[in-house]
Amino acid sequence: MSNSQPIVKVENLWHIYLRDTPLEVVALRGVDMEVYKGEAVGIIGHTGAGKSTLVQHLNGLLRPHKGKVIIDGVDLSQEGVDIRAIRQKVGLVSQYPERQLFKDYVADDIAFGPQQFGLPPEEVRERVKWAMEMVGLDFERFKDRYTFSLSGGEMRRAAIAGVLALRPKILILDESTSGLDPRGRSDLLRRIKELHEKEGLTIIFVSPNMEDMAELVDRIYILADGQVVMSGTPREIFSQPEELYRLGLGIPQVTEVMHALRARGKNVRVDVLTVVEAEAEVCKLLNC
Amino acid sequence: MEDFEFLRNITIGQYLPGDSIFYKLDPRAKLLAFFFIVAAVTFTSSYLGNVILLATVLVLAAISTIPLGYMLRGIKPALPMIIVLAIMQLLFLGDFYVPPTGIRTLFKWGFIHITTGSVQLVIVSTLRFFDLLILVSLLTFTTTTTELTHGLESLMSPLARFGFPAHELSLVLTTALRFVPILALELETIMKAQASRGANFGTGGRLRFIQQARQVLPILIPLFIDALRRAEDLILAMEARCYVGGKGRTHLIQFRSSLRDYLTVVFSIVYAIFMLTYKFPF
Repeated sequence: MSNSQPIVKVENLWHIYLRDTPLEVVALRGVDMEVYKGEAVGIIGHTGAGKSTLVQHLNGLLRPHKGKVIIDGVDLSQEGVDIRAIRQKVGLVSQYPERQLFKDYVADDIAFGPQQFGLPPEEVRERVKWAMEMVGLDFERFKDRYTFSLSGGEMRRAAIAGVLALRPKILILDESTSGLDPRGRSDLLRRIKELHEKEGLTIIFVSPNMEDMAELVDRIYILADGQVVMSGTPREIFSQPEELYRLGLGIPQVTEVMHALRARGKNVRVDVLTVVEAEAEVCKLLNC
Repeated sequence: MEDFEFLRNITIGQYLPGDSIFYKLDPRAKLLAFFFIVAAVTFTSSYLGNVILLATVLVLAAISTIPLGYMLRGIKPALPMIIVLAIMQLLFLGDFYVPPTGIRTLFKWGFIHITTGSVQLVIVSTLRFFDLLILVSLLTFTTTTTELTHGLESLMSPLARFGFPAHELSLVLTTALRFVPILALELETIMKAQASRGANFGTGGRLRFIQQARQVLPILIPLFIDALRRAEDLILAMEARCYVGGKGRTHLIQFRSSLRDYLTVVFSIVYAIFMLTYKFPF
């Protein structure tokens, strides 16, 4: 994977909010990032670290004030870039995406994106059906439901389907699982994982939840104060808990348990990420 | 590419933390002085008077230490309207405005009638616009909305005796002002979300009104839903805190006026009276 061109390349990216006013805030100070095709990459960081600012550059919602953003070979800092083509290629799901819903019926709302790109009706219908199935909304049962009568979790899924219906190559989820109940969250996570594994979608996942990260992504970037301070595989990252604590972040609970066992002199692996792995380690310890 | 950062160009109403004398004045004194100076700006029509006013306003702006360029940035969105207005005044209002030195025709063709009066009207009203913008900026940049509305409530409280709803009015004003930046941010979020799914804003030609109106729906509907939801939350929060209106309520911050505040008000009254009664030669 590493010898091919990255599908997303961010080079020395700077962004300043309220630029040229007395209230300006530097949100990004020289971020470098690379994402390869078919990868799932996580972005972690404290509130205000610049996570949302960074991902909003990836589909052209924000312009780079300095540096470059290259998506699939297209440099977004150049003038005259077909920005809608980029937005079709890079699907961004924001935090609380259900706020974007506006049509009366679920299927109509999901069809909004593909219709904006002028696709023929049969194609639109096909995509809506596919997207709804992908997020776990049964097409026949939900297509004519009144949008605002859906439950919170269903609305969230409908909104994500609205982005998926564009058939993006890269899906960015900016804290899109927050505010859901535990079952809704794990279900959504499972669906995203499925999209990643079966459809080969490149995923960029922003979340404050370390368990979700450990579950889903191949590589992690850690942002602090507008800069990338750490990057690596989840195992590499979570094996350095002191660094993460210093940044005001944490590690998955099971990893924390392993670190605590190690601190008490038990011979266990500390690069454990899931409950299943932890179970095996504890079993080894107890000879069960 | 569209720019979604609305707050960058909307400067009116924005509070800027700082520590010049404007921040230390009692908001009630500031409001009264503002009122008198605005009266002077509004009713002075001579050239000389307006030059003096502009100088005064610029001196005040300099004292405030707020960059003038930042204040004037608020004009940008209104500029086309100001220009259209100025042209209409120049062309059509020649007969209606009589300057102190008398009216003289400069150009006449059909219903277009340019006189010394209309020229003066255009210059004076443009100057007025700048004066007012700077004055409003000075007030809102240096006063938080809480201070402003409490100041207003305090100034209006004598009227409460005659059944004037001073407290309610101030509450309505606080709420409205407080929600402007919140709704602006929400608008930005919604526009970004819809743009992410391919929505197009501001295309389709200037004269295709129906198409343009349709493009606004994906923003307008979510924004309304959000505003209603926030209003309901606010009602709930107020009920939960046993809010029953202004009777018997005290404030966290009590205003205390010092000599400086009284002097500010007296100076502004004297200034306004001078500007309004003195006969300027031109």
